[in-house]
Amino acid sequence: MKKAVFVLLLAGLLAAVWTAAGSGAGTRALGSSGSSVTISNEQGTTWTCNFNPFNPSVEFLSFGPVYEDLVYQNLLKSGAATPWLASAYAWSNNDKTLTFTIRPGVHWQDGKPLTAADVVFTFQLLKKHSALDLNSAWSVLSSVTQKGSNQVVFTFKTAAVPYFYYVAGQTPIVAQHIWAQIKDPVTYKDSKPIGTGGFEMSSCSPQVIKYTKNAGYWQKGLPKIDTIYYPAYTSNDPANQDLASGKAQWGSQFIPSIKTFYLSKSPDNHYWFPPIVNVSIFVNLTDPTLKDVAIRKAMAYAIDRPRVAQIGEYGYQPAANQTGIVTPTFQSWLDPTLAKQYTYNPQKAISILKAAGYTMSGGVFHTKSGKPLSFTMVNIGGYSDWVASAQIVAQELKAVGIEVTPSNLSSTTYDSDVYTGRYQLAYDGNEAYGPSPYYELRNVLYGPASAPIGTAAASNWERYHNAAVDKLINAYAATTSLATQKQIVVKLEQAMVRDVPVIPITEGVDWYQYNTSTLTGWVTPQNPYAQPAAYAIPDWGIVALHLAPKG
Amino acid sequence: MTEAPLTVPQLADAGTAPPGAPAGEAPPAARSRSGPAANVWRAIGHNRKALVGIAMLAFFAVVAAFPGQIAPDDPQAEIYQPGAGPSLHHLLGTTAYGQDIFSQLVWGTRLSFVIAFAVGGLATALAVLVGVSAAYLGGLGDGILSLITDVILVIPIFPLVIVIAAYQKNAGLLTLIIVLGALGWSYGARQLRSQTLSMRTRDFLMAARVRGERKLYIILFEILPTMTSLIVAAFLGGALYAVLTAAGLQFIGLGDPNSQSWGTMLYWAENNEALGAGMPLWAIAPGVCVALLGAAFALVNYAFDEISNPALRPVRRRKSVDVER
Amino acid sequence: MRFIVRRLGFFVVTLWAAVTLNFLIPRLMPGNPAIAMMARYRGRISPQTLHALEVAFGVNSHQSLFRAYLAYLANIARGRFGTSLTFFPDTVTHQVLQALPWTLALVGLTTIFAFILGTLIGLLSAWRRGGMLDSVMPPIFVITSAFPYFWLALIAIWLFSIKLGWLPESGGYNITDTVGWSWGFVGDAVEHSILPALTILVTAIGAWILTMRNNMISVLSEDYVRMARAKGLKPWRVMWTYAGRNAILPNLTGFAMSLGFVVSGAILVEFVFNYPGVGWMFLQSVENQDYALMQGLFLMITVTVLLAILAADVATAMLDPRTRDVR
Repeated sequence: MKKAVFVLLLAGLLAAVWTAAGSGAGTRALGSSGSSVTISNEQGTTWTCNFNPFNPSVEFLSFGPVYEDLVYQNLLKSGAATPWLASAYAWSNNDKTLTFTIRPGVHWQDGKPLTAADVVFTFQLLKKHSALDLNSAWSVLSSVTQKGSNQVVFTFKTAAVPYFYYVAGQTPIVAQHIWAQIKDPVTYKDSKPIGTGGFEMSSCSPQVIKYTKNAGYWQKGLPKIDTIYYPAYTSNDPANQDLASGKAQWGSQFIPSIKTFYLSKSPDNHYWFPPIVNVSIFVNLTDPTLKDVAIRKAMAYAIDRPRVAQIGEYGYQPAANQTGIVTPTFQSWLDPTLAKQYTYNPQKAISILKAAGYTMSGGVFHTKSGKPLSFTMVNIGGYSDWVASAQIVAQELKAVGIEVTPSNLSSTTYDSDVYTGRYQLAYDGNEAYGPSPYYELRNVLYGPASAPIGTAAASNWERYHNAAVDKLINAYAATTSLATQKQIVVKLEQAMVRDVPVIPITEGVDWYQYNTSTLTGWVTPQNPYAQPAAYAIPDWGIVALHLAPKG
Repeated sequence: MTEAPLTVPQLADAGTAPPGAPAGEAPPAARSRSGPAANVWRAIGHNRKALVGIAMLAFFAVVAAFPGQIAPDDPQAEIYQPGAGPSLHHLLGTTAYGQDIFSQLVWGTRLSFVIAFAVGGLATALAVLVGVSAAYLGGLGDGILSLITDVILVIPIFPLVIVIAAYQKNAGLLTLIIVLGALGWSYGARQLRSQTLSMRTRDFLMAARVRGERKLYIILFEILPTMTSLIVAAFLGGALYAVLTAAGLQFIGLGDPNSQSWGTMLYWAENNEALGAGMPLWAIAPGVCVALLGAAFALVNYAFDEISNPALRPVRRRKSVDVER
Repeated sequence: MRFIVRRLGFFVVTLWAAVTLNFLIPRLMPGNPAIAMMARYRGRISPQTLHALEVAFGVNSHQSLFRAYLAYLANIARGRFGTSLTFFPDTVTHQVLQALPWTLALVGLTTIFAFILGTLIGLLSAWRRGGMLDSVMPPIFVITSAFPYFWLALIAIWLFSIKLGWLPESGGYNITDTVGWSWGFVGDAVEHSILPALTILVTAIGAWILTMRNNMISVLSEDYVRMARAKGLKPWRVMWTYAGRNAILPNLTGFAMSLGFVVSGAILVEFVFNYPGVGWMFLQSVENQDYALMQGLFLMITVTVLLAILAADVATAMLDPRTRDVR
């Protein structure tokens, strides 16, 4: 035993000394070769090497760089469309028929050409396996057929203009000759994805995915960089650390104190957080007390949104406004007079409550029947910025006599409570969004999308019902005129201000940091050619195409 | 690793060792039999480690009892300049949210202290109850109780606590105390059982039985006092374990993030990159406090080992083995 | 004989208790994995799609609790741990096997190393009571063993990786490496493991030092050790073969259990160091209500502990004849 112990001990010490000495040499600089980019985006998980573009947990790893869509719509430019795998498209038949012309000369990464049949096949696949139909395209589609050699005709049940985004922009096109062989595409791992995109997935381990340039890409001269490394980060710390040290050049991270932690480390470090979707207080409108609009209006006045944004979110997420229009992203859709309403005014909040017949006692307002205005606000405990923000909101509401207790839940419990309507207030920024404010407003306001208490609702978690608003939302779907669309959205803004079904607090952003020392072509506030977060689909594939080695 | 430092030493002689495992019984002759509690106190007075440990505990106790007098600032109020360095106004600087770190530290003492003592107390009570009853009941009762003890000993506690804490996030403090207490007694119970078993046939107990004393009387007044040091050890072990486990849970975000405790401070500090973003004290101070409170329990525990087992007491170099030889 | 029967009974009952607990706990908790799935789709999903997914994931299959329990037992008996929700469509077994080597290599080896080193220090300090080693090591390491591991790790990363740049701060290896048994990769993996290993060592070693020292002191006062000394045997021989060997016996079970608890110990290590092992995976499964993965890991931990104890039982019985007689 003596010998064994000593040998082990010695070996261990030697190993430690040897490696400690060796590490000084620093083999760790990653961005050293100019034509690669390393992404730092904490997903809280290791990679499964699953690239199925119809699996919502991993779709972002293939949809964009590897798989592509028919027409790209840029949210940051109010949905400006760029033909992609389709070279042209046209609406007809009162916005019920949509015809795409498939681009010639596009090849799958295995060399076979892309055809209209591939597109038809993709949509038939979604129809056959509804678990793959992530955007519920077939809830509005009635048929998808090939016309001639290079056209695909989509026929919708009703006018469905907003569905263009889902059909053309959010559905990855897959190859018939590959996917037709797959027995169960729902559980298919697609560990060697073959798409039409600029990058091929060349190797994958639980810790890192490596993408390499597709030499035969249909956009000549692209991509300009050779390699993308996408490491898996299970926690924020190391992901932030790699950005600060320059090991990673493309960040999609919440970095606290970004000036000292990131910007100060290099003059080449930059960030931009474009707002995308509101983080709001959802108010359960079926609650006997909260269904009084006076309370909701008072709350909207009582919350100092810029302060919440500044303290809770480091100012990264700007303050929201009551119209539900995310600014400056969708500035052109905003009615500025509406946006000015409900600026911070605690006195006004108190007078509204008094006028509505609530009486103050012991620092808290009470209903006529003597019930205190005291509510619980559910929140996701794992989102530390939300927890901090909710805490500030609670303090501010307390100041006007409304007691709010934040309740920080696990995300699954939280989702379950919010979806089924078993909550009073919910701090929430999880609603789906799209390339115009319509998408978020529809998800917040559209009655038919809601569900009775106890049943999970896909959206409209506050259970808002207003027939006139529903009609407006339907009307939007039947027009391709931007002017008409904007008129409708302004009417929706009016409903938001009048009924206060939700109280937008801050504007959730795309997290994005970039380092310009070795690469150019980044998305900047001056040139927002795509959503810059390395998880935005299919946008990050487009960003990767724009990146180029410096000099 | 929260668990390892605790479980390992405690379990060291537990698993399968027969009754009369070393730590419990090694030198039975050494254990005083008359007025053991008083002896224990006297021994503490002569043990430097114990004194240091107890002084530290007393310090934390004072802080926990009077946080308002020591740090008048509201620890939650986000009213100061964020991320400020230490100054006269803010002894340890401020957090990224503009809260006073010193106040947070002082107010956080209470929760850590409460958890330590409540869990330690609960676990010890259960250990005494189960351990002594098992030994005294004998037969089937002993078999069942021992089996339960062994099963709980083997169940991985930390993962189980994580599961429960994750789904009961809102229940907070009480749940945490109950879960930690309810799962943390088995080692102590095992030791107490062996100790009781080894004493059942001792003369003074025989005498009590002959006198016709009731079982409960014998257990409470004859057996328990002789096991003071074991019970104290069980308590200290439980308390140390609770401090570290609770801090670990809070650190990974499974505590109530709005509560005021050292673990929660570490959670917020880590989430805000306190070390890298120029607020190192935010992360260092609460960790030092957890470590100090833990060390206090560990020191007292260490001292109790020496007290209950005089063979372990420090010896002067001169009269050591060489001389004996 | 009675001893063996008793131990086997204990193993069977413990296994059953763990398996049952494993089954019950997730089901007694609030929340619904189907809704967790729905959340991933940010509400875009239609009821038909949701239903199709539920079928694919095998959740919400309105089975009675008892029947689900039976099905669960049958599956476990056949070694089927189901499909992970988090890593859909991978099986639990596949995921666990992928992560396990990392945990075993880092935490497992460090645990063994801590035991060996701690035992050695404990032995030496007991042998030379009151010497330099004895007056310094045990008190220091008793105090470090009370340190919160994760905090020590945070400070160590800050100091050694970020400030001084000596060691990598996270991950199991460089992301540009090709995974395999090459010198470069193994060296890199070792380099990445130094910092986590050292922090584990510092917090874990105190326990072994203390218990070994205490055992050793007791053994040293035994007659046979005095006898050996009196016979004039070489001190080193007395220390190793007479005293040390016997002092280590009571620690074997503890060591076995600590090996079994490697996975629970790994949770915070891997959380802080972004290490691709099973400890982190367990946290992940809890957060995602991934019952199958959570149960698989929990069961693995329990079974490992039981097996380790069984092994320690055998070893102790072989090395120490007294144990066999007692019961």
